[in-house]
Amino acid sequence: MSELLTLSLIFSAIRLATPLIFTALGGLFSERSGVINIALEGLMLVGAFTAAVATFELSNPYLGFLCGLFAGAVTAFVYAVAVIEFEANQVVAGTAINFLMLGLPQLISGAVYDSSGSTPQIDKAYLIPDYFNSISLASILAFLLIPIVWYVVYKTPFGLRLRAVGENPSAADAAGINVNRLRYTAVILSGVLAAAGGAYLSIGQSSLFTRGMSAGRGFIALAALILAKWKPVPVLFACLFFGLMEALTIQIQGAIKLPSGEDIPVQFIQIIPYVLTIIVLAGFIGKSLAPKALGIPYKKEK
Amino acid sequence: MKNAIKFLFAIVLFWTLSFANLSCSSSVTSAEEKGKIKVGIVFDIGGKNDRSFNAAAWEGVRRAAKDFDIVLRDVEPGNPTSIEPAMRAFAEKGFDLIIGVGFAQGPIMQKVAIDYPNINFAIIDGVIFEDDGKTPKKNVASLVFREHEGSYLVGMLAAQKSKTGVLGFVGGMDIPLIHRFATGYEEGAKSVNPNIKVFPNYVGVTDAAWNNPGKGKELALSQIEKGADVIFTAAGNSGLGAFDAVEQYGKGANGEANKFVIGVDSNQNGVKPGFVLTSMVKRVDNAVYDVVKDVVNKKFEGGFHVFGLDKDGVAYAMDENNKKLITPEMIIKVEEAKKKIVAGEIKVTDAMAN
Repeated sequence: MSELLTLSLIFSAIRLATPLIFTALGGLFSERSGVINIALEGLMLVGAFTAAVATFELSNPYLGFLCGLFAGAVTAFVYAVAVIEFEANQVVAGTAINFLMLGLPQLISGAVYDSSGSTPQIDKAYLIPDYFNSISLASILAFLLIPIVWYVVYKTPFGLRLRAVGENPSAADAAGINVNRLRYTAVILSGVLAAAGGAYLSIGQSSLFTRGMSAGRGFIALAALILAKWKPVPVLFACLFFGLMEALTIQIQGAIKLPSGEDIPVQFIQIIPYVLTIIVLAGFIGKSLAPKALGIPYKKEK
Repeated sequence: MKNAIKFLFAIVLFWTLSFANLSCSSSVTSAEEKGKIKVGIVFDIGGKNDRSFNAAAWEGVRRAAKDFDIVLRDVEPGNPTSIEPAMRAFAEKGFDLIIGVGFAQGPIMQKVAIDYPNINFAIIDGVIFEDDGKTPKKNVASLVFREHEGSYLVGMLAAQKSKTGVLGFVGGMDIPLIHRFATGYEEGAKSVNPNIKVFPNYVGVTDAAWNNPGKGKELALSQIEKGADVIFTAAGNSGLGAFDAVEQYGKGANGEANKFVIGVDSNQNGVKPGFVLTSMVKRVDNAVYDVVKDVVNKKFEGGFHVFGLDKDGVAYAMDENNKKLITPEMIIKVEEAKKKIVAGEIKVTDAMAN
């Protein structure tokens, strides 16, 4: 077992945690304002796809990254209009965004690159650069975001309003805060951050976009957010925990054998993170308190 | 007013969704198409331009459509549940040959082929039996490849190239078809160097495993950490992550890459020139072309059509991109083994046989 706990495992965990950190922080803004964001998966995909296309066309990862963020913002705006303006059910509208982003990139890449669902590969020279033994610039950015988000949520007027709107929108409204405008801002911010997580997948970790490449990471990020009780610093640890677990499942495969000499079945190894999540959620975390107004559209009293 | 906008929004969303998920070409039969042989092909989830397995099948039918006077229609299902309706739609319209691409369509074709006994079917990577589970179905041509034989040869090349004596294998979904690649590869490697170590890893256990290049890259990196210097991928788009991983280790002083990857299905030598040792190609295109030709010439035969090294159904790819990476001595050794496999002197274990 000890040979598994190496420096490379830590680096692998950091690489795997990076998209989760971006996305979970995005979810934090949205959910703290009282809007459930199950669309994180779809927002990651739109960020990943747009970043890959823009980087391929412009041969510049930084511009590509920004384009990804912009696409995330636009998609999140559509989601915000549906759930804030028209008070659509947040889970259903979020799921619709996820479905849309499973199909839309496929349609566009089919029309533009004559391929179903994936973009051409981007040359290594035009990807987000790596530092210190393959830690991406995006990973460093993700870690820097934690104190920034903490500061924004707890030390700025915007953060105070955000928390107030998520806990008690009527009181916030009475205090003169425009609840829905703040929720728009929060949801769009969540789109930008989730798209950053997706962009890291396509132009940081890999070199192309493939259909549905987020592979459930948006939902893992949501789980990390709940595990962290919607607080920025615990989000970092929750995401690192999931990253470490995934890194471990990668390292364990084929390295540890059963006493009988056979390999441990892959299926068994792959359930380890999820089983641990259930144990941790049920046993150690205690009561997980969501923002009180989560999922409830705000209607101004007339 | 608000309700009307809500309603409109729902309609727009619904239409976008249905368009995004099922891009299906029209299957209207016009008068001038009467009397011609009609061929329908249903692709796998990867889609017809995946630059790999499905693309090879598409290439095969298109070549056939050029050479013979046939009507060709195709469907790219957006999700696994739309495969069966697509197949049945072709059957209802009286197509002469319906081709299913990929092992996942096996159970579906099993049902459809029973309902339409007078229509010819062909399936790639799958086998369809009668109800007794033994006799091959008469109206279905099961096109299967002896991937283990081709994998054996690339395993030999990998073992000869490896300096560390450690090899990696990145599989997509953990299924018997992919085990076939892994065992053939390992046996080939061991035939060159009995002490060689092979790490077989899989991306996942669901069909998302074919589209997760991030995880493919992490698996390849962890294998390289354990000493692997040649990695064989059989993981669809996830395998492209392994290509990125070996590129990250750059080229040595002599201008040759430090780590190598072996491509799969199509010739992927040109994906990252210099880093790709070879590709284990599966001539799906030829197999599909031949079955269309048989239908046109009224010589269609159901049952198993097995494509091994003997018919060049599987092979290792050599071209300009990897000419310098593989020495003539390596090729001589591999060609010898190829002859022995064809003659039956070397038996490569088929992981799907039991």
